[in-house]
Amino acid sequence: MLGSLSSSSLLSLFFIMLVISGLSGLLFLHPRIPLSFVRIHIGIVALPSLVSLLALTNNSGNRGDGFWYLDSLAWLMVFFVLTIGLIIQRFSVRYLMGDRSYRKYFTLFTFTTGAASITCLSADLRLMVISWGATLVGLTLLIRLNRAWKVASEAAKVSGRLFILSWFSLLFAIIWLFQVTGQWQLSLILTNESLAQLGAWERTGVNLLIVLAVIIPAAQWPFQRWLIESVVAPTPVSAIMHAGLVNAGGIMLARFSPLFNGDIASIILLILASFSVLIGYGISLVQVDYKRQLVGSTIGQMGFMFIQCALGAYVAAIIHLILHGLFKATLFLQAGSAVRRFEVSTPVNERSSYLWIMAGRTLALVIGIAYWLMAPLEGYQLISALILGWSLSVSWTQLVAFGKGRIGRIVGLSFLGGAAIVYFIIHNLFYEWLRTTVFQSVQPPMSVVIIVVCLLLFGIAMGTWVARNRSSVSFAILYLWLVRLGEAKPKLVESHPNYLKQYLSQGGNR
Amino acid sequence: MNGTSVLTKENVKKQDTNINHQESNINVLIESASQVIAPLWPISAFAARNPWAGLEKQSFEQTAAWLNKTRDIDIYPSASMILSAKSKGEIDEAFVKMGLQHWLDSHSYNIPRNVAERFCHAALKLDPLPSNLLSSLKLEKLADEFSGLNTDRIDNFLIQPISSNIANEDGERLVNILDHHVIKWCKLYLDDSQAGWTMPNRDEGFYRAWQRLIQYDPALNKIQRKSLKGWPKEAHMALKKALFALEIPNSEIQTYLEGHLLSLPGWAGMMLWRSRQSSHEHSLLTEYLAVRISMEWALLKPYLHLTNQRPEKKVSIAPLIAAWIHWGDLTIEEWSQMSAAEQNEYLSFAYSFDEKLRRKLWLEAWEQTHTDRLSQQIISKQRKIIDKKSALAQFAFCIDVRSEPFRRQLEKEGPFETIGIAGFFGLPIATSELGSDHSHSSLPVILKPQHKIKETADENELKLYQQRKQAVTSLSYTFKTMKQNVLASLLLPELSGPWLSLQMVSRSFVPRRADRFIRNLRETWLRKPNTTLSLNHVHHLEAEMPVGFSDEEKVNYARQALKMMGLTKNFSPLIVICGHSSKSTNNPYAAALECGACGGAAGGFNARALATLCNLPEVRKELSSEGIEIPEDTVFVAAEHKTTVDELHWIYVPELSEAAQEAFDRIEAIMPKVSRNANAERLAQLPNFKKELKNPKAEAHRFAEDWSEIRPEWGLARNAAFIIGQRELTQDCDLEGRAFLHNYDWNQDESGDLLANIIAGPGTVSQWINLQYYASTVAPHYYGSGNKATQTVTAGLGVMQGNASDLLAGLPWQSVMQSDHEVYHSPLRLLIVIQAPSGYVKRLLNNDSVFREKVQNGWVRLASVDPDGRWVNW
Repeated sequence: MLGSLSSSSLLSLFFIMLVISGLSGLLFLHPRIPLSFVRIHIGIVALPSLVSLLALTNNSGNRGDGFWYLDSLAWLMVFFVLTIGLIIQRFSVRYLMGDRSYRKYFTLFTFTTGAASITCLSADLRLMVISWGATLVGLTLLIRLNRAWKVASEAAKVSGRLFILSWFSLLFAIIWLFQVTGQWQLSLILTNESLAQLGAWERTGVNLLIVLAVIIPAAQWPFQRWLIESVVAPTPVSAIMHAGLVNAGGIMLARFSPLFNGDIASIILLILASFSVLIGYGISLVQVDYKRQLVGSTIGQMGFMFIQCALGAYVAAIIHLILHGLFKATLFLQAGSAVRRFEVSTPVNERSSYLWIMAGRTLALVIGIAYWLMAPLEGYQLISALILGWSLSVSWTQLVAFGKGRIGRIVGLSFLGGAAIVYFIIHNLFYEWLRTTVFQSVQPPMSVVIIVVCLLLFGIAMGTWVARNRSSVSFAILYLWLVRLGEAKPKLVESHPNYLKQYLSQGGNR
Repeated sequence: MNGTSVLTKENVKKQDTNINHQESNINVLIESASQVIAPLWPISAFAARNPWAGLEKQSFEQTAAWLNKTRDIDIYPSASMILSAKSKGEIDEAFVKMGLQHWLDSHSYNIPRNVAERFCHAALKLDPLPSNLLSSLKLEKLADEFSGLNTDRIDNFLIQPISSNIANEDGERLVNILDHHVIKWCKLYLDDSQAGWTMPNRDEGFYRAWQRLIQYDPALNKIQRKSLKGWPKEAHMALKKALFALEIPNSEIQTYLEGHLLSLPGWAGMMLWRSRQSSHEHSLLTEYLAVRISMEWALLKPYLHLTNQRPEKKVSIAPLIAAWIHWGDLTIEEWSQMSAAEQNEYLSFAYSFDEKLRRKLWLEAWEQTHTDRLSQQIISKQRKIIDKKSALAQFAFCIDVRSEPFRRQLEKEGPFETIGIAGFFGLPIATSELGSDHSHSSLPVILKPQHKIKETADENELKLYQQRKQAVTSLSYTFKTMKQNVLASLLLPELSGPWLSLQMVSRSFVPRRADRFIRNLRETWLRKPNTTLSLNHVHHLEAEMPVGFSDEEKVNYARQALKMMGLTKNFSPLIVICGHSSKSTNNPYAAALECGACGGAAGGFNARALATLCNLPEVRKELSSEGIEIPEDTVFVAAEHKTTVDELHWIYVPELSEAAQEAFDRIEAIMPKVSRNANAERLAQLPNFKKELKNPKAEAHRFAEDWSEIRPEWGLARNAAFIIGQRELTQDCDLEGRAFLHNYDWNQDESGDLLANIIAGPGTVSQWINLQYYASTVAPHYYGSGNKATQTVTAGLGVMQGNASDLLAGLPWQSVMQSDHEVYHSPLRLLIVIQAPSGYVKRLLNNDSVFREKVQNGWVRLASVDPDGRWVNW
């Protein structure tokens, strides 16, 4: 029976479930409802997520009706956002036990992920802007949940200001589009006739506004500050921020792809994103706080996602943003395990492993070239091949060449093989899912690809150079700049969490 | 500091131009100043740390006043805590009244006693003054009319860094900016290889690395960078230069340094700890102060002309008048009719009967109530020591408060005798696990290890084991390497994402099964071989510490442990030495739940070492020649009490004699029931949504294995007493897991040495634990670690709050609070109860001046139960 559900009835079912979960969130706010209701709430929140899974597996190539996107990309993103949200809410049941904003937290969280899921579905720009705005408001409120803490409310202000800039930028972009094309629905705007109405400079203008709107939530340089300073938020809030909300830009760009492709704006995005990759990577290298390293890494990963978008590899970008989201959410949730307990041994570089290393490099080179030759004309394929080959070489060196004894090498090889197989299976699965969603992508000029490759290689050269010139002045300057970029402003730092003093004096016998 | 500033002045008088002398001079000052902070060690070996260890020469009250003045920290329980304890019936108000009478008797004032009493009684209700009264215009007028209350003058303003009195153009206090810089430099320097790129020039030491880098630091502006360029190359020169530039008079230097150390006591404490670990970092604290004060000078430079404006704090009169109106039932008219002298008297009285004093009286009443109830419980229920019937098995548990409920449940189920002893069993050892080069000092942090004990196995098996282990670590190492490579890091999420999300989903929805699966997988893969301990003495010339014990030492340690347990006769066939350990998942404070006597690690290793020693025929032979006759069929085994799930896990069971086997089987048979009851009792205290637990065991395992669990167990929260005496004294009491229990029989301790050892060793450990919980509860922002949800692990060493903060030293907020609204731990100073004749206690106090100081200065409370069963408060 389920197989015959039409997409529109699935959509209505989805909205019913979403509304129910929202109502459950609101209900939980009421002080008369016992705290143990939260367990029922988690069950209710799982419903819309399940419906979206059903819709995803049940998708028969429907592309939606102009007001809603109902293709597999939309449902995939809805499922992703809601499931991550569900997992994090489940995590918070115990993790935030006893928190004074316990009820408010779950309500806000449900509201924020719900709004984000509507954003993924909306094909009407007005709805998209409104629901995206609601998501940003929800996120800001989550950051400032503990506003008795001075730094948390400051961080919310910093984030809020940048979000407002981002949101207005998107708003102006769609108003501009409406002015020219007279349409609010994205599918109608992106037809060739409508696009033809856009002059070259208008197109660039709109695109630049969209770029501004997407790079802020993705914390790209020079707008990374909000992500760096919102480390003050509780761990689960950071998890949803890094897993679900920073990557909204990727989906928007994918949706706007016909407008965006080949425009000068994509070159600007490419430059900012490449720069962010290097900065984010640099921050995660020099920082010693676990969460701050993760922030640096997110900035870099989002930069990479935008590089993929700018090169027209939208499917790769979507895969990257989903897997990165899951990866980062897990790393945040297990942030408590970051204390090392008596683990010391680091593999030593033995002479005997030299041959093994060389073998690994050769293998990596061969595989990299082979991968590139599978589609030598696609710009992104070259970058992908480079990364794949390089990663193979690095992991081979660690897992196989440095493996201790036969056991070590066999295990290393099987890990490598296992990871590779899963990697390809997952990628195929995603390509299969997203096959129905057609992205119009124009190949970027090869020169652009070369620039990106050079930038990435520059990053590597930098690392090698640093390893050899650790005491040089230029390294000192580079190091201190990276530290500075990754640090919060003094205003957002408090030497001791003084708000707890207030908690104690207000507390009492409630 | 009152005690130490005398030293300062003497030093200053002897000023000398000799540079060497000056250097030692500043070192002496730093040494004395460092008393105000306590060393802090990495969180992976979190062990009890008394934040006031260096201040015990002063009374608790003086320390409280001093902390309040220097850092605005209040170390008396808050009014809401007191009121909630009162409403739960934990405080008997009669004691408050007695405390008040005592205070009134011992202070002189010139107002009628009945007026004073009425005022005090009303004030002791601890309600805040109504805000409409405080802000009323009439009151303001009255206060304005009055000027100059004769109270103690606001003294030395240098007790706080100068930068804390000055704000920059944006209104940010300079000391915050200074802290921000100092935190950054500390964490980068101390990093325990978390970063891919470590701080340049780090191996030249903290100060030198800073001195070379600071001239390029973009976080400073150009002028500041310039002013620090060419700053002295030596830390103490820099420190002196900065102090001179800030015009700190010589006599005030120590005070000034103390103020700086107290600004970030965690980072300073970590520097202090590191400086004691290796000789090449021995001057780390000097370097820290040099960096900090040099930077302060650079930040302050443009504002230095302002520093002469000393802030003037005046006693504000309005609240005092309001207090009289509100609590003393005076009307404004009555007040205005008083003479100036009279008014002055009234105000002085209200000023001295301030809020701190009121809460002090309450705290003391709370403690007295606790003492009173404990004494009644013990005295009414104590058993007469009849001839001991031979028990089937004897268990030696750690003194840890979590042992008490478990012991109680165990004793209920059969003829078992339990004994309390510090969980390192008197073995001053550093332990080294199989195949690991790392050794852990498994003894109280106040002691130094003297022997190294390694876990060893058959060489071939060990080699294979290490290969398997290496295979596991190489995986996480590869993860890290890829993360730190620019290209590989981009692929890493796609490679590891599927695996991590599998883990995330299963840990979220089936936490127990997921954790068990991962653990079993790991254990099956590793297959740890059977191991033995290297107890025999091996002489290494190059090693600092000898491996193993000599024959004589084996006998000595075994004898000492048996004597400490009071176990020199009536041996049961089976003697179980129980260490304890805890299990929690995704918990940076896991070590805080481990054995405090073993330096924040599981105690099984020590238990196993002792049990093995006591089974050695040569040791037994030697002991029997000294009159400690261990029967042939008595066997020592070792186990671990898992405190999170209240289970007993065997870790060393040699071949058992018939009688021992019988006892062993009996224990196995009753253990499920013991666990069930102990868990049920304990889980009732932990916040949970499930009201009735059908299966306490499963729920306890969920607490241990759920990665989202914020309070895996309560640890040592609510600890309040340390009872040193026979088990018969407390056997019939439900001590609610709030008491450390150490066995002691004064009849066998004529010289008093055993008692002295118990007080010096386990006594200090439990006092430190107690004060750490106390401090983390009353001043959670300063001595605690704040909310676990907003912490970040930094440098692999400890945690910070939010974006950056001091390195937090104490217990997290969730470990002492039931919720944000409700305290769980009762902040009471440890009550030490000794079961011995008064003469023993007197002798102890006479001989042990350190302990005497602790008692006299109010850092612990002391009571004794004499042989006639009478309770004496000391």
